[in-house]
Amino acid sequence: MTSELFGADLNPWVDAIVRLLMWVGFMTVVAMGLIYLERKVLARFMARIGPQKTGPMGLLQSVADALKLIGKEDLRPRNADPWTFELGPYLVFIPIFMSFLAIPLVFDWHIRLFELGLLYFVAISSINLVGWVMAGWGSDNRYAMLGALRAVAQGISYELPLVLSLVAVAIFNQTLNLEEMILFQGQTPNILWQPLAFMIFFVAALAEMNRPPFDIPVGESEVVGGPFVEYSGIRWSMFFLGEYTALFIMALLASVVFLGGWAWPLGEELGRWWQVILMTVKTSAFIFLVFWVRASMPRLRIDQLMAFSWKVLLPLTFAQVLVNGLVLAYEWDYWVSRVALGVAGLAGIVLLYAIIDRSVRRPRPRPAPVAQSEAVTA
Amino acid sequence: MVVRPEIEREFETQDLLLNVGPQHPSTHGVFRMVMEIDGELVKDVVPYIGYLHRGAEKLCETMDYRQGIGFMDRTEYLAAFNAELSYVMAVEELAGLEVPDRAQWLRMILCEMNRIASHLMFMGAFGIDVGVFGTPFIYAWREREAIFDLFEEVSGDRMMYAYFRPGGLAWEVPVNFTERVREVLKAVNQGIKDFDGLLTENEVFIARTRGVGAISAADAIDFGMSGPSLRASGVPLDIRRTEPYLKYAEVDFDVVVGQNGDVYDRYLCRLQELRESVRIVEQCLEKLPDGPIMPEKMPRMLRTPPGEVYIRTEAPRGEYGIYLVSEGGNRPYRLKVRSACLSNLQALKHMSVGQYVADAIIVLGSIDIVLSEVDR
Amino acid sequence: MTSDGNGAAEAPAEAPESFEGTIWPDVDRALSGISARPERGAIDVIVHIPREELIRGLRVLRQDEALDFDYLRCLTAVDNEDEGMDVVYHLYSIGKNHNLTVKATLPSDDLTLDTATVVWRAANWLERETAEMFGIRFNNHPDPRTLLMPEDMDDTFPLRKTHPLAEIEVLQGEGMGYTEEDL
Repeated sequence: MTSELFGADLNPWVDAIVRLLMWVGFMTVVAMGLIYLERKVLARFMARIGPQKTGPMGLLQSVADALKLIGKEDLRPRNADPWTFELGPYLVFIPIFMSFLAIPLVFDWHIRLFELGLLYFVAISSINLVGWVMAGWGSDNRYAMLGALRAVAQGISYELPLVLSLVAVAIFNQTLNLEEMILFQGQTPNILWQPLAFMIFFVAALAEMNRPPFDIPVGESEVVGGPFVEYSGIRWSMFFLGEYTALFIMALLASVVFLGGWAWPLGEELGRWWQVILMTVKTSAFIFLVFWVRASMPRLRIDQLMAFSWKVLLPLTFAQVLVNGLVLAYEWDYWVSRVALGVAGLAGIVLLYAIIDRSVRRPRPRPAPVAQSEAVTA
Repeated sequence: MVVRPEIEREFETQDLLLNVGPQHPSTHGVFRMVMEIDGELVKDVVPYIGYLHRGAEKLCETMDYRQGIGFMDRTEYLAAFNAELSYVMAVEELAGLEVPDRAQWLRMILCEMNRIASHLMFMGAFGIDVGVFGTPFIYAWREREAIFDLFEEVSGDRMMYAYFRPGGLAWEVPVNFTERVREVLKAVNQGIKDFDGLLTENEVFIARTRGVGAISAADAIDFGMSGPSLRASGVPLDIRRTEPYLKYAEVDFDVVVGQNGDVYDRYLCRLQELRESVRIVEQCLEKLPDGPIMPEKMPRMLRTPPGEVYIRTEAPRGEYGIYLVSEGGNRPYRLKVRSACLSNLQALKHMSVGQYVADAIIVLGSIDIVLSEVDR
Repeated sequence: MTSDGNGAAEAPAEAPESFEGTIWPDVDRALSGISARPERGAIDVIVHIPREELIRGLRVLRQDEALDFDYLRCLTAVDNEDEGMDVVYHLYSIGKNHNLTVKATLPSDDLTLDTATVVWRAANWLERETAEMFGIRFNNHPDPRTLLMPEDMDDTFPLRKTHPLAEIEVLQGEGMGYTEEDL
């Protein structure tokens, strides 16, 4: 029994190992590129330049960082629990990589196309919480423990809106197969008809990835890095790699589920490289949005975060699922149903904004300057 | 059944002690507080200070008056001009020195510029405490750099100026001083606008800061708070207005007060004070007279008659007082620095108990402590 | 420096015994029954109160409606060597905008005083600092730990005039690694 890779017949085990190595290598390069991009983009937001000395335009900065991290001593605190401490990073890292399996990059380029791809994704992507808890518990550090508990609370709370917003789209598209979803969006991407679902997906994805403003588990001004406060060297870089890989995968998923993947707006018949460019553009746009939020948003507090998830996002996603079901149950015309869904989604966004605005701007007294006569004078 | 008490004993819970500092990203120096937390709620805060205690007061007793100026810079390194001002005013008061007008106006310009630099520092650091990745910090740094460049041109140093002298100033300012100040003010105005746009109306920022760490006016007074932290509670105590020193009686400015005394008001007060400081400097530039910067008859060795004086000035963080006791001679017999931060920090426990851990951090940030001033 | 405006407490320099135009008459009225002695300071009026009556006097100063000293600016001590130690309170009234300095003299052999934290909470840390720096014991202080100094440093008082400055001090531990000869 052999399998074919690059025209060569290989033993399936060798083939699997080669594919795995290619895969990890590719993802590592992508994550390093993202780290470089984030530093550059954030620097521009902050009126700085960013890395520029290492290699042309600082392009080798991530490579230098990676080399440094690999060369660093892998420390373990004396009181740490050896097994959980050492295994924690793997459990963060591996599920994220596994969740990549199901995502179609461009037409016919994918590792494995699952019939229930979306279900596989949401099932596998929340396993890394176990890793966070193991890291936090095993470190024997109170900041790490606090961070881990926060990570779990946040991860579980935002899992629901994330999954339900995807469910809403799945109902609309009547499939869980990601490639079929892309084909379904041949003419119009899902974001047009499901804007609320996209908003909620974006917010929940930020929280799932622990990106600002939801970086509460790792907030450096409070819990000093949270679960990975005690890690160093290669194990720490696994968390880091996991974070950026997750960002990349979320961006891919968003472009597949909401932005039309490799099909819209150029159609399905175009050459493979056009599709690659299309996916790159969409993914980059999503990632840029995430960086933008990071550069300008303060961090939420844990109770606000939970309240936002359970009291605002979850009811809205339920409403979205219900509306989708209703509209599709009556089997209206193609355009009528779509426009109805779009309008409902926009109304939902307006409602979301109104809720946020109201909770933030309840009568807010501003400190007014006291006129000179009113102030106590000598 | 009799197992019930057994179970209860087994599940007895204990609050977690969380040691924040002395090395922690958001303690603004070497400050340590032990928080007793129940889940995420803070039940008790015990602050520990003294890691930066260098005994400036004792050291000043062994130095003559002019050498003491350098120590005052180092007690309050973010607003060194304001710290120097208190000290030299105390010496002048005891020695009976008359300061020329030009020196007074220049002192005022420099002190207000330093207030701007210090408040900008607060804005940046506070932004980081609240959790913006670094944007406010760099924004603040940009304008602060411009001010420091100006100070370097004037005094030769970026932070430890030692430029004020009992009697006046060390030397005349550079020839293009006025134009340079105006240039810097223009940049500062833009910086204030940027901050306003970045944080003031940000939904998450408001949600995080409004109603957090509130302290009532009566409590704030009782704890001896001063500066913007006190004014945010609605007490219009500004020594520039209540007991004017330098030429503050001759310029037009508003005392900014808040209403709720929460973290958001403290932020807004400082933001508004930046604008007021710009106003004051602009008026000073217009009124800046020509003339000498030191009194005509300065003794070669400065000696003071026996006596004591308590001089208070409005530094960026509040009342910076100097209690100077002289027994005659050329050095202080006793020098006490009344630190605004020390008194403000006393209220930390009052403000942060019952809040979340993340709130305790921003309450600490909103007091705007400088640990070298707390510990001296 | 005369150009500084310094509030209502300031008056043009006159004969040392005259307290016209100062806050002293009001203080004198409020402190009736307490043996207080006034003195003119450079800016503020200084009132000497014996230590037995000090806290009572401070409480009166705070509660009196015409005086209303609600703000404790500063609390410190001055080591006058043979003449004992002065504990100095700088008071301010935010509503009335006037200042007062209160002094209590402690004899060198009995450095104890009642705490002022019952009058202003602001006195808490200031008293802790004064206590550790001068070795003054404040009775009934709610939190009598050290403030700036190490926790176990209870026999060294840095701001006393007898405390040396230029020698190596053994502050804690077993001589901090120095042998007797090194010291």
